[in-house]
Amino acid sequence: MTKKGHLKEPLKVMTICGVGMGSSLILRSTAEKALRQLGVDAEVAHEDVSSARSVDADVIIGQALHTEEFENAAPVVVTISDFTDVDALANKLRAPLKEQGWLV
Amino acid sequence: MAGVKEAITIAQAKVEVTGWREAIRASCQPLVGSGAIEERYAERCIEIVEEQGPYIVVAPGIALAHARPENGVKRLCLSVTTLNEPVEFGHPENDPVDLVFAFGSPDSEQHIGLLQTLAERLQEGLARRLREAQTSKELDSLMRAVANAVKKEPGCQG
Repeated sequence: MTKKGHLKEPLKVMTICGVGMGSSLILRSTAEKALRQLGVDAEVAHEDVSSARSVDADVIIGQALHTEEFENAAPVVVTISDFTDVDALANKLRAPLKEQGWLV
Repeated sequence: MAGVKEAITIAQAKVEVTGWREAIRASCQPLVGSGAIEERYAERCIEIVEEQGPYIVVAPGIALAHARPENGVKRLCLSVTTLNEPVEFGHPENDPVDLVFAFGSPDSEQHIGLLQTLAERLQEGLARRLREAQTSKELDSLMRAVANAVKKEPGCQG
């Protein structure tokens, strides 16, 4: 499941929330921009937490309330409280993506 | 792929509420009045927060009240409400809330364009302009600008 090293295909990113319709969709838009800003090729999907449990992803992004239970569900799990702050999310993603070798 | 259906948008400035439940009800009430959602939708929005926690507080001071299509949505709709006094939702970082959006979608797709446009505008500082609006009329024109922008952008599907 883990794509260590250089990316050959788009990163699978999942934004999560309780219902999977509103909050995670807002976050998806912010995540798409943050990843573009970082220059990472990614496909972002939004899911509710219960569906998210059965989906494989390289990166999971959500609020602390939801990411806690996903701590080991993906190589990179990022917690963010402001779903509309593109720069803040890009900053949070930078180090863990580098660590995985997904960002130079 | 259907085009973006026209959404019902409603704006109310400087509303007086005493707590988060009342804030959610106030944000849904005009959508009930316009026939876009049923009364039970607001109660479901509240239950979701009671069951899952205040994750609908998506940014500092901003709540996005919503439930699912089957909870009584008849038409795509979005309301914005600014509160006279902010209320606590119990969110560890984003409290207190003074800007409440409520939306309803009749299925799992119709709202995508509208919400994406809203997200983009929020990323660009829409919340500040909404908070500065002194009247419902000013708020309404800001929200109409969001709804109108949706039509020009191609719907992003999946």
